[in-house]
Amino acid sequence: MNRRDFLRTVAGGAAAGAFLPLDGFASPLFPEAAAAPFAVVTGPDPAALVRRAVELVGGMDSFVSSGDVVFVKPNISWDRPPAQGATTNPLVVETVVRLALEAGAKRVVVADNTCNDARRCYAHSGIKEAAEAAGAKTPFMEARKFVKTQIGGKAVREWEVYRDALDADRIINVPVAKHHGLSGVTLSMKNLMGLVGGARNRMHQKLDTSIVDLCAFFRPTLTILDAVRILTAHGPQGGTLKDARTLDTVAACIDPVKIDAWGTTILAEAHDGRAPEEFAFIREAEERGLGTSDFRGGEFHEETLAG
Amino acid sequence: MKNARRLSQILFLALFLFLFIQTEYKGSNELGLPVRFFLDFDPLIALSVLLATHAARALFLFSIVTVVVSVLFGRVFCGWVCPLGTLNTFAGWFKMRSMKPGEDDTVFRRWRPVKYYVLFFLLVAAAFGWNAAGFVDPISMTIRSLAVGWNPAVNKIVRSFFEFTYAADLPWVSPGLDAVYSAMIGTALAFEQPVFRQSILIGLLFAGVIGLNALAPRFWCRYLCPLGALLGLLGWKQALARVDVDGGKCVSCRRCNLSCQGDATPFPAGRWASRECLACWNCADVCPVQAVSIHPTTRATGDGNVDLTRRWLLASGLGALVAVPAMSVGAHRTRPNPELIRPPGALPEQAFVRTCVKCGECMKVCLTNGLQPTLGQAGLEGLWTPLLVPRLGYCEYNCNLCSQVCPTGAIRAIDLKEKHRIRIGLATIDRDRCIPWALGVNCIVCEEHCPVPGKAIRFEEEERENRRGETFTLKRPVVNPRLCVGCGICENKCPVVDLPAIRVSSINETRSEENRLVL
Repeated sequence: MNRRDFLRTVAGGAAAGAFLPLDGFASPLFPEAAAAPFAVVTGPDPAALVRRAVELVGGMDSFVSSGDVVFVKPNISWDRPPAQGATTNPLVVETVVRLALEAGAKRVVVADNTCNDARRCYAHSGIKEAAEAAGAKTPFMEARKFVKTQIGGKAVREWEVYRDALDADRIINVPVAKHHGLSGVTLSMKNLMGLVGGARNRMHQKLDTSIVDLCAFFRPTLTILDAVRILTAHGPQGGTLKDARTLDTVAACIDPVKIDAWGTTILAEAHDGRAPEEFAFIREAEERGLGTSDFRGGEFHEETLAG
Repeated sequence: MKNARRLSQILFLALFLFLFIQTEYKGSNELGLPVRFFLDFDPLIALSVLLATHAARALFLFSIVTVVVSVLFGRVFCGWVCPLGTLNTFAGWFKMRSMKPGEDDTVFRRWRPVKYYVLFFLLVAAAFGWNAAGFVDPISMTIRSLAVGWNPAVNKIVRSFFEFTYAADLPWVSPGLDAVYSAMIGTALAFEQPVFRQSILIGLLFAGVIGLNALAPRFWCRYLCPLGALLGLLGWKQALARVDVDGGKCVSCRRCNLSCQGDATPFPAGRWASRECLACWNCADVCPVQAVSIHPTTRATGDGNVDLTRRWLLASGLGALVAVPAMSVGAHRTRPNPELIRPPGALPEQAFVRTCVKCGECMKVCLTNGLQPTLGQAGLEGLWTPLLVPRLGYCEYNCNLCSQVCPTGAIRAIDLKEKHRIRIGLATIDRDRCIPWALGVNCIVCEEHCPVPGKAIRFEEEERENRRGETFTLKRPVVNPRLCVGCGICENKCPVVDLPAIRVSSINETRSEENRLVL
């Protein structure tokens, strides 16, 4: 069963079972997560960081098969230059695209439902140019392509989802690590809000549960967290170099909970040093079996690359 | 000659439409092409702004080209260049084809002076401070009508078709058409479906102008157009290209009159009206006996120009003198209008209304569709000037496109650094509607979207217990008036969609001395 069939089944099942208790989702969606290798690589060249991190978690070949359509989801939300840390590093996105194509992907799509004007975000984040240079398509999300879909979550039951993401064989989530005014941090699960349309602003009212719902629904194949430049205050938009820090780090794992748990540790100054399990969305994701916050528990790689 | 003229008309119309479509964000902060191009060459715009504001712009120098050409050749601009003139040529063609000899002596001929009185009214009004030329200037009117009325309609129709085929999901057909559609978006079609208040009204008024061609060909150009009147007056001598009819050869077939784009009466010989001549020179083309020639001469080849009566000039001048103070009757000047959020760089209100020619280019170029035509907010004198309606679209923080396209400097040219310091209004929170304030549930959407580095929206935090007895931090937004620039993204994105819980009004705008909040 590929991703697409899986999503269809889940969507169909959720529709059929709309009146059943939702406890079914407590069963782990990532049974292999606890043992999944986790890689944190530091060094001056973002492209090299991505390549090494992906290699350490099994290589792109183990996630992308020949002929796959791969949807890469960076954070392109804001009309900000890369240095301000509000959007995913373009070199990181570019390298993910290259790796996917090298692994045999038929087509790689890079897109995000932006908050500011999409044309400006795509251009000024540097992502459009970088992704296209690597051979990806970078379409702007259009209203007509959002289709009402059964999400079957606890807070998000039914929502408009971007059709290209539904139709893709793989989703590779490439968030950037940032401060966020409500959830404290925005990492991989929150990043998936860029795949839905509609009145997604309302999700903030139950933000923690909503982003766990989205993560359970989209089930990204791989998550690569960009921590080359992180935003430590006034997130998720920032707007000044003062709020951004250079970490020169990239993390990769198939388990989004591990990624996000580790992500909170690098953003300590954004949230007064809370422990990962103090974040409601991490706790809830763990309880619902999406993964584990114990990122050191399994196979843990930490490497520094020379320049 | 006819083919050269048609080619010129088509090329200039194509250029106009190209520049019109080009008046949109294309991936760079700077719009590469001079999208105001046609307005820069428009002497009526230059003259009326000059009279109304006593301030000149370097760009007005372009209009001298039009003046010189008109003085030497007559209304060549009307016949060969003007995009509205070309649209009227197309639309008037049907009427012209159906006219029979005799019908050229149209009952509307006595309307010919009207445009001069319109011009006189506009210039007197401008001299006394009401710049109304933009309402009826053909270039300004065409840009505005296309931007606000017709472009949204065309987009809607084309998009509906493609959205239908997309939703139908037909094999082969849908993907193929979808590829065509994708290529059209941002090129032939707008990036997003444009939405404007008064779209239908402004579109229909323009349709009415085009529809006048059913009464007489190029009705607008012949009888109403104030720019045509101005160029006609300038080209009264037009010594380099005068129509000359040889009465001895003329066989009175009237073909010259029947093909005349203006109402310039080359027939009967010696009655040619130079001011009415649109320089189409059809008369020379159609004459079966070569009685009509166009050549340089200082000799008076026709005495058909209408006399303007002192009575009507007086009436239009007095009308303007009455209209100017009448414009300030009404409530709009008594105190600042909270809805009247002007784009950043807009001059102080009085100067702004005097300088703006209502061409609508700023509305066309606005990234978010937030700039909309006013209706009553700025009084009748400021009708169809731009205001920001945050519920429809906000002012993008790092964008200054409207200041780049403004032809008159009503929106000053500002760079981004200056723009970031300009406040166009202030957001205030309606605590009875704000979700955290009224319902005790977190939201933070306004704060998240606030583009000001350091955030103009902060939180008052309070530890609360939810229904399950868990403690959480309730974050209630508060606006800092010192930092808020009034861009309106908070109002635009507020999840309380109908009447947002955070709203921007014009108070605190940098351009006003009186519309201030704190000492």
